[in-house]
Amino acid sequence: MFAVLIDQFWSLTIAGIALGFIYVLVSLGYTMVYGVLRMINFANSEIFMWGTFGAVVSNRDLFKYTQTSEPATGLKLLVVLLTGLLFSMFIAGLTAVFVEFVAYRRLRMRGTNRLATLISAIGVSIALAEVMRLLTDSRPVGSPRVLEKIILTEVWGANVRLDTLITIIAAAVIYFILERFIKLSRMGKAIRAVSQNEDAAKLMGVNLNRVITVTFLVGGLATGAAGFFYVTVFEYTKFNIGFTMGLAAFTAAVLGGIGNIRGAFWGGLSLGLLEVYASAVLGTQWKAVTVFLVLILVLLFKPNGLFGEAVQQTRA
Amino acid sequence: MNKKIKQSLAIVTSAALAFGAVVASSANAAGTYTIAYQGPLSGGEASTGTDELNAVKYAAKVFMAKNKGFKINVVAVDDQGDPAVAGTVAPGVGSNKKIIGLVGPAYSGATIASLPYYKAGGLVMVSPSATRVSITDPTSPDFGGPVFHRVVGKDDLQGPALAKYATAGVTNAKVFVFDDQSSYAVPLRGYVEAGLKKVAGATLVGGDSVPNTTTDFSPTIAKIKTTGATVVIYTGYYSQGAIFIKQLRTSGSTAIFAGGDGVFNQEFPKLAGASAEGSRVTGVGGLAGISEALEADYKKQMGASSGVYSVESYDAANLLLAGIKAGKTTRAAMLKFVKAYNGKSITGNTIKFDKNGDISYGLFAGFTSKGGVLVNTGIIK
Repeated sequence: MFAVLIDQFWSLTIAGIALGFIYVLVSLGYTMVYGVLRMINFANSEIFMWGTFGAVVSNRDLFKYTQTSEPATGLKLLVVLLTGLLFSMFIAGLTAVFVEFVAYRRLRMRGTNRLATLISAIGVSIALAEVMRLLTDSRPVGSPRVLEKIILTEVWGANVRLDTLITIIAAAVIYFILERFIKLSRMGKAIRAVSQNEDAAKLMGVNLNRVITVTFLVGGLATGAAGFFYVTVFEYTKFNIGFTMGLAAFTAAVLGGIGNIRGAFWGGLSLGLLEVYASAVLGTQWKAVTVFLVLILVLLFKPNGLFGEAVQQTRA
Repeated sequence: MNKKIKQSLAIVTSAALAFGAVVASSANAAGTYTIAYQGPLSGGEASTGTDELNAVKYAAKVFMAKNKGFKINVVAVDDQGDPAVAGTVAPGVGSNKKIIGLVGPAYSGATIASLPYYKAGGLVMVSPSATRVSITDPTSPDFGGPVFHRVVGKDDLQGPALAKYATAGVTNAKVFVFDDQSSYAVPLRGYVEAGLKKVAGATLVGGDSVPNTTTDFSPTIAKIKTTGATVVIYTGYYSQGAIFIKQLRTSGSTAIFAGGDGVFNQEFPKLAGASAEGSRVTGVGGLAGISEALEADYKKQMGASSGVYSVESYDAANLLLAGIKAGKTTRAAMLKFVKAYNGKSITGNTIKFDKNGDISYGLFAGFTSKGGVLVNTGIIK
């Protein structure tokens, strides 16, 4: 049973970390909005899905790559990848702001209760998925290979591939930029202030609506970046991929402690690793069971997740 | 004979004659008739259902062009391929007496969920793609008789064919088989594994069961590498198959990849690109495999190429249309007609159902991916 784990430990670990970083970025989308609004943005899964299509459109329509064309190299590769990343982030950010305007803002202005917003977010999420389904005739969409999946080096018998390495490094960089932004910038401070005490923040002159929009935007940008890495690694997307990814990322956020950026980081990474190890040892049919068993165990001992602080309690 | 009796006899006879004449004239009477198609038309599996519905509509178009005065309505019933949804749409179809025959349901799970309503309504079903063995097994609770029929081979025929085709030309094949946890893939995997026992030299070295929403196959690939498999068989669907084969190839593995009719879709080599080269797939040829002219006409009429199960859907629809032409315009008459049917499929095979609703043939062809297209390499013997 453990033969696979021992034999392929480092390949599995590298794959798990790459997957984990994609989870980290998507769970940022959940955790940011939760931190500020104390509400789950159920449309984040579809924001991710729209982000993946941003990457495909950039590769396929902007740079005219096809399934048979040669992968890009050198400076061209850098340009193609960066454009894809920015385009995915742009699409996802735009979608996130759209979701905020349609599903949250108007209801918030009228002082409706939380559940109404929850349902409207689910509604927008279904609408976003169905629109994409109609646009793509329900078919899966392949992305042309722009990045040759070269095996760079071998570490303890495991292949380190260029695409996984880029995903790990770039996702880590994006995460740290975001973390700095929240910690140090003026807007980041405002976001944290609203998260801690909405009324007090308002009294201090924080523009609540702007903070909320920016929060959605930042969450959307991170989620969009995840969409780009997803397409780069898996070269595939479909209108319904959001659900599974959303569930996984939401789980990661809760595991790490929702509302907490560091929680999203460690939650995402541990979930990625846990998934590949559990699949390899017990069989993929046990992946979800293992993940949720671990989640329940963690929540039993740390009800606010691994890094959940007592923020929720002080607020109530 | 008494005069009165003579008179009344005459009346009865003439009435019977008149009635007979009415029946006889309705046998070829043009008119408007309704059949239905049931399958996934929205949700994740919508492309399968849309392809099948198009083939049914195409059959109706061709029929109406040939038989002036007939108008065929095709009611599209969307069950999303999901048994839960099927259970909510089937009662309406079952009680709508205008519908005299049903092509579908497309999926086995949805078929089983719909069966009680169609049995109650006496509605004849001809499925183009529900391949689960239990539906035509009289000892199973899923048994669909007397209303269920299918014009597609069962999985217990496909499994061994796939095992044979996947390992062809490989000496002492070490085979890894995995499914996508769907109600289609899990039983098929069982039949593949059973079929492998009859392939000389082949050994089953491992397996996995991967949810059909998976995009990261690294744990499965790790297992394939550890077991040293030379042949990998996937019993799920093409979209997942395409993601998997790409990852298998980038991992450096050169094991042969094979899949069943779930992978049989021209989208598969398109999605997987160069990684798909040499992949072996079992399936049934599309309309283009029958004749290029037919495919061209289909494309002209429907505005899209024919897809998976288009041959079966076309056959199934034609069966019901033949019934309508023969004047079987009630559910009971149509059911009787289908049960006794003995005619040709467009593939040239004879369509004739056994008492459980299965056809006598179930020929699976082997397809190999070459230059981005799945090329027919002939029937697997």
